[in-house]
This record gives sequence, C-alpha cells and structure tokens, in this order.
Amino acid sequence: MTAGLAGCASFSPDGGFAPVEAAAKDRLGKDVRWARTAADGEMMAQRVAELLAQPALSPDDAVQLALFNNRGLQARFTELGITEAELVQAGRMANPGFTFGRLKSVDGVEIERGIHLSLARLIAMPLIYGAEARRFERVKREVTMDMLALAAETRRAWVQAVAANETLRYMQQVKEAADASAELARRMEQAGNFNKLTRAREQSFYADAALGLARADRAQRATRERLTRLLGLWGAQTQFRLPERLPDLPAQPKDQPDIERLAMSQRLDVQAARLAAEQTARNLGLTRTTRFINVLELGLARNKLEDGARQTGYDIALELPLFDWGGARVARAEAIYMQAVQLTAWAAIDARSEVREAYGNYRTAYDIALHQRDEVVPVRKRISEEQQLRYNGMIIGVFELLADARAQVAGVNGYINSLRDFWLAQAELDMALVGRASLSLPTGPVAGGMAGGGAAH
Amino acid sequence: MSSRRNFLRGAGAITAAASAAAVSRVAMAALPEPVLQTRPDTMPPLVPSTGRPYNPCVTLNGWTLPWRMNNGVKEFHLVAEPVVREMSADFKAHLWGYNGQSPGPTIEVVEGDRVRIFVTNKLGELTSIHWHGQRLPNGMDGVTGLNQPGIPPGKTFVYEFVARRPGTFMYHPHADEMVQMAMGMMGFWITHPKAKHPLIDEVDRDFVFLLNAYDIDPGSYTPKIMTMLDFNLWSWNSRIFPGIDPLVVRKNDKVRIRIGNLTMTNHPIHLHGHEFLVTGTDGGPTPKSTRQYEVTTDIAVGQMRQIDFLADEEGDWAFHCHKSHHTMNAMGHDVPTMIGVDHRGVARQITKLIPDYMVMGERGMKDMTEMEMPLPDNTAAMMAGRGPFGSVGMGGMFSVVKVRKDQKPGDYTDPGWYQHPPGTVAYEFGGALPEPARFKAEGPGSMPALKRPTTPTEVKVRKPAGGHSGH
Repeated sequence: MTAGLAGCASFSPDGGFAPVEAAAKDRLGKDVRWARTAADGEMMAQRVAELLAQPALSPDDAVQLALFNNRGLQARFTELGITEAELVQAGRMANPGFTFGRLKSVDGVEIERGIHLSLARLIAMPLIYGAEARRFERVKREVTMDMLALAAETRRAWVQAVAANETLRYMQQVKEAADASAELARRMEQAGNFNKLTRAREQSFYADAALGLARADRAQRATRERLTRLLGLWGAQTQFRLPERLPDLPAQPKDQPDIERLAMSQRLDVQAARLAAEQTARNLGLTRTTRFINVLELGLARNKLEDGARQTGYDIALELPLFDWGGARVARAEAIYMQAVQLTAWAAIDARSEVREAYGNYRTAYDIALHQRDEVVPVRKRISEEQQLRYNGMIIGVFELLADARAQVAGVNGYINSLRDFWLAQAELDMALVGRASLSLPTGPVAGGMAGGGAAH
Repeated sequence: MSSRRNFLRGAGAITAAASAAAVSRVAMAALPEPVLQTRPDTMPPLVPSTGRPYNPCVTLNGWTLPWRMNNGVKEFHLVAEPVVREMSADFKAHLWGYNGQSPGPTIEVVEGDRVRIFVTNKLGELTSIHWHGQRLPNGMDGVTGLNQPGIPPGKTFVYEFVARRPGTFMYHPHADEMVQMAMGMMGFWITHPKAKHPLIDEVDRDFVFLLNAYDIDPGSYTPKIMTMLDFNLWSWNSRIFPGIDPLVVRKNDKVRIRIGNLTMTNHPIHLHGHEFLVTGTDGGPTPKSTRQYEVTTDIAVGQMRQIDFLADEEGDWAFHCHKSHHTMNAMGHDVPTMIGVDHRGVARQITKLIPDYMVMGERGMKDMTEMEMPLPDNTAAMMAGRGPFGSVGMGGMFSVVKVRKDQKPGDYTDPGWYQHPPGTVAYEFGGALPEPARFKAEGPGSMPALKRPTTPTEVKVRKPAGGHSGH
C-alpha cells in the first residue's frame, strides 16, 4: 500500500498549469506563461518589450501584456505549485519516527526507546490524498478563473483609458470654444459693446468648461494608472502608447440566441458547483459505508479573511466508534449533499440570468451607440451647419455659433461615451460567458437637450 | 399668367375653372370666371374696354382684376386661397391671398359704378371681406358676425354696392383677421372720379402698393401669425427689395403714388430728388389749402396716402421707408454689435472649431453686402441689390423711381441704370486743395495772443467730478 501510494505521489510535468494555458488559448486566443525558470522570465520580458514597442497598444495586446506581466497573476500561479506540492506530500508516507526517553526517578533511570510509524496517517492517507487532489483541481479552476477575470478587467481598463483620452481631447476643444467666447466677450466689453452682465454670462461658460476639463484630466489619469497597474508596468514602461480612438462600432451586434446554453457549457462556476455536488455524492456514499469518517468538511473549509486573503483547505478527523454509531452523520451527509445540489442549481440559475442580462446590456449598448453615431451626432452637425448659415446672414451672432460648437463637441463626446459603454458591455458579456461577471448597473435615463449648453441666451 | 385680356375665354379661363373645381359647378356656372395670376411681376395697366373710361393705375409687382359687365353692373370674382408668393428671387412665402397672389388684385372702378363682387372661399376656415374706407350699405361692410355670417369654406358670397366716392381704398378680411392678414390677405381698391374733379388732377402715371410685413423664420415658408411688432420682412405688395420693381416714369410726367398701410406700425415713406404733395388720404382728395410740399410722408397703420409730384429730375431716385430697419431683409435682432472689437488671435481660435467662421461686423455691417456666403434655404440676403456703383445694401421697403426723358408714354419697362452726364457724379478727391486766401487776423482769435504755446494743446474733455459742487 505504501509503495502504491508513493507511486502516485509525484509532480505532474505541467505543474497543473495546462488547463490555465488551454483556457487562455481557447477563450482568449492568448498565451499565458508561468515564469518558473529564468528562461521563461527572459522570454516573457522580451515579449513584453515587443508589445510595448508597438506604436499603439491594442486591447488584445493589453490583455496579452497583462497575462505575461501582471505579478498578481504570477503569484496566483505559484499557488498551483504550492497546492501540488501539498498533494505530492499527502501521497507520501510520513517518515518513521524514533524516540528516546530518559526519565530519572527515585527508582532509577528509565530509558524509553521506540520506533514508530504514524498509523493514523497511514489509515488516513487515501482520504487525505483524495482531498488534496480535489483541492488541486479546484485551485486550477480558480486560477483559470482569475486569469480570465484579469483579462476581462484589462480589456475594460483599456477601453476606459482610451475613452478618457478621447474625452479629454474633446473637453479641450470645448474649453477652446469657451476660451474664445470669453476672450471675445472681454474685448466686447473693452470696446464698449457688452455690459458687465453679458460679459459675465460668457465668462461663466468658460468657467464651467475649465471645470469640465479638469474633471476629464483627472479621469484620464486615473483610468490610465489603473490600466498601468493591471499591465504590471513601472518606470519607463509607463510611457506606453494607446490608440487615439476606440475601435469603431461593429457593423452588426453579435446575435447569440443560444447564449444560455453556451454559458452552461462554459461557465467555470457552474462546472465547479457540479463537481462539488458530485464529490459530496461520493462522500455521501463513503459515509454510508464507513459511518465514521467526517469527510464532509472537505472542500467546504474555505475561509475568507478580513484582508481578503483566502484560506482553503480541509479538515479531517478520524474517530473510534465507541459511543456514536454514525446515524446522525449519515443524515448530515445527506443534508449536505442536498445543499450541494441546491447550490449547483442556484449557480446555474444565476449564470443564466447573468448571461441574459449581460447580453441585454450588450445589445442596448450597441443600439445606444448606433443611435448616438447615426442620429445624435449628425443632427448636431446639421444644427451647426444651419447655424453657420444663420451666422452668415447675420441672423445670429458669433456667441450663439460658439455655444453651438460647444454643443456639437458635447454630442461627439456623448458618442465616445456610448461607444465606451458598448465595449465595456462586450467585455462584461465575454466574462459572463465564462464566469461570474461584475455587471455594471445602468445609469438612469438622461433628460434630453441638456447638451445644448448656454445656447439660449 | 392667365391672360386678363382673354378674360372669359382661352387658356386662363380653363386653368381658372380647373382650379375652382372645389366649388360646385352649378354654382360656378352663373359666376364670372375667376382670373388667376401666376407671376409676381408688375403687369401693365388694364385699360378698360367696357364700362366708363378711366385712366388706369399700375400695381407695383401686381395686377388689376378684370371684370365683366352684367346689365350695367361690374362683376368681379375674388377667390380667397392659399398661394405661394415669390417675395424675391431667392425667397418664396406660403401665404394666403386672392386669385393666385398676395396681395390680391387691385380692383379699379369709376365713381358711381354699381359693383358686384363674388367672393369664393377656398380656405379652410370662414372668411369675409371688408371694403376698407367705402361708403356702402351696412350689410356689405364685411365684418363677420356684425354685418354678415362668415363665408364658409367652399361657398361664394356676393357683395354689391355703388362706389360712391372717388379715392383710394383697400380690402381685407374681417374674419379671423389677425391670422388672415398676417397670412397676406389684402388688396387695393381705386375708385376713379367719374368726371374732371377739382381736387383730383389728371396724372400720367398712377402707381399703387400696399405696405405689409411678415415674420418668416429664415429657411421656413409660412409667416408666424402671432408676431405683433418684431417682423423680419418689410414688404411692398409682399415683395422685398431687390425683388421690388422700379417705378419707371418719363421725365416731366405727373406721377401719382398711392400707398396703403396694412402693417402694424407706421412708415415714413421718403422720396429722393423731388418734392411731393399729399393729395389724398383715407377720406379722399385733400383740400388744396392743406397741401404742402414734402419729401417724406408718414403713413399710419390702416391709412392710405396719395402723393403727387412732377418727375422733372432725371435719374434713379431712391424711394423707401425711412425706418432704416425696414430697408433690411431677415436679420437677427439680438446679434451683438461687433464694431470696434479686435478679433486678432480669437478668430484663428474660433476657426479651429468652426472652419467656415469669418469675422463680420467689426467695422460695421456693410461687409454683409460684399460677401457671398451661403445662407439658409429660402432666405433673402439681409441687404442686397447691385447698382451701377456696387452694392446698394438694402432690403425690404426700398425701390427706385426711374425718371427718363426718352421713356415712351405708357412704357413701364426698366430702362436700366441712369447714364449720368459727365461731371455729375460724386468723385474721389485727389490731390491738395490750394490754401485759400485768408484774412490776416483769421484763425487765432480776434486779438493776437501775448504768448503762444510752443506745443499744440490737446483738448481734453473733463467730466464733472462727483457731486454737485461744480454748480
């Protein structure tokens, strides 16, 4: 038995990384590496340098970069090693012990010598090994999930950073228009054509625009730093370049009628729940036959500490059946099995709902962005053109023209925001198809015409 | 146009009959065919071929309604209907009018004529016609509800009375008149004297036009009927300069111009180069003792003025409303004044955002007349019109009286620009004037100063500094 056990207890060639790698390939189309050797590290550093050398970092580049360079992810990978080591450890017999005691009493000296083997360990070994193997499986799934979550997060951060860049640029234009009207108003007052009130009104647009610009500036910095952190960049690397614009809206939104079924087959949390239920079923069978082994704590011992770190593990206890013949235990095991079944159903129902919501968000975001692009922006542009004609005919003045230019810029910026929301929704949908996604709650509808600015004075 | 000369026969009548199809054929059979006018041009005078003779007048950018004689009664047919009026070459308005145009045709009759006017309503609501200024039976005065029921859509009413006193009159609806007049329903009426009248001189040319105003947003077509005073189109017979025809006369013609005001403000009408007499008002010819020479006569709301003058000065003479905004077309009334505002730097900054931006008005608005910039659809330039010396920079209530010695009698065609005899056009000063011979003591004052300042003193205006201490 010992020999047999020792045979299983060796390290796997991939260290448990294969499923993570496969998930990166299948789900993301990306490479992921676990920097275990100096060669790995060098290779990855080189790929990172290559990616950073590109003229502009695409969202796919950003995801690839994060998979190579995010230290948190690498730290998670090491957990695979730790868990596997523990698994291997569990499959090995403990070393025999040797004791030597020397006790001195009035009667003389008592020397106690002994050699011993951990009997309990020997008896428990198959159970411990099984538990460790299951834990290793779970850690693999968790690491995979974390890797996918990081990819989704990176994609979102990329979208937000690029959109914030664009917004900043547009806010600069708005400020320029406001600057021009404020300056013109100043000169109007100087020439005696404006009174203080009229000038102050124009000045207030300028003040608002400056505020807007400051906010856009802050958002731009915050989103870029967030992306920088996810990409694991520091020093000179932080000078990475992003494209000027978000990718265009696709010609057609993805049509996915069987999205729920797809989610059922792909979602890692659903798969995990199903496995857990299967395991408790096996444990239930075990409990029924042995009636003694308190293995049902297995896989459920999972502590979340205050600081967010997780402790996972198991607990195993063996006891001698002297007083309790295990009837209650069986009942408990059955209850726990039913609990696992319910949890599986719960996970499945939640997954279906989440994926429906994510797909709904995605379609709505597409429609909104399309409407912004094909209706709102062209209408704003037409208004500006007509206003220009009215200016030509001295039907309106330059200040109305400038107010309109500000409104047009705001309209374009509205499209940028809706395009950003679309790409975020796309990332959320992709995430919801493989695991639990953090779906953003929609903001309430915005009253129409607010973008008009101070045109009506 | 449908020819007025072919009244009761020919193409015009057919067109007219077809367009009147909404009204019962049976009812129409007894009516004089309505005659339509499709062109906004000034039509030659309609010389009467039936009825008492008279000296016809010319409606500026308009026409006179033909009639038929029926047992000694002059029968006219007015059709109230929506029309598209070309107010200038680049601007058309959707108005309501009569017989294809707004204003409607001028009705010319002779003192003592028995007149029967058929009025067919092709509008969507009740209408009626009030014969502004006429002596007539009370039931013919046209005030809906007071004197008659309104004429329902699709129906024809008849007005019949004797044109008792000679003079200048107008007609307009008195049913929903705020809307119907804002939409352009109005017309002129002339009653010529039956015989030589001691207060009414014979004239060679007799022009008539109505003053009217519309508020039509640039780029749109229909007047805003709720506007009370802030109109943006000031028109003569629903035409705006440069869409208005000139008043062409032969040198030494006796000229009469009759003007009626159906806007909501007064108009000081001013003629260049001549003095005129106001020879008639709403009440008829003025007593000779009240006449005085004028170059401007103010025409109040709802009033008519008849002015006579001898066109004895050759040339192209401006003739316009003296309210300067009334010689502008559609313009913004809230546009900030840019005069004297330095645009350096700012203009470039604005052009970055608004590529077609161009600085305007920092020297005044005359720039407007020099630039050819795209305007909203269906919008007449604020001021336009090209003369022989460049832009006239006018719009609205502005025209030209053209006096020519070689213009044929009865010929109203535009003779072109006036050829000035040499040395009669203002010219640019070139070179120094010789120092005029001055009297020795001229200049410094009546007595020589004891001590002259070595540097010229700059005049400084000092404002009173606070309080009333300076008193």
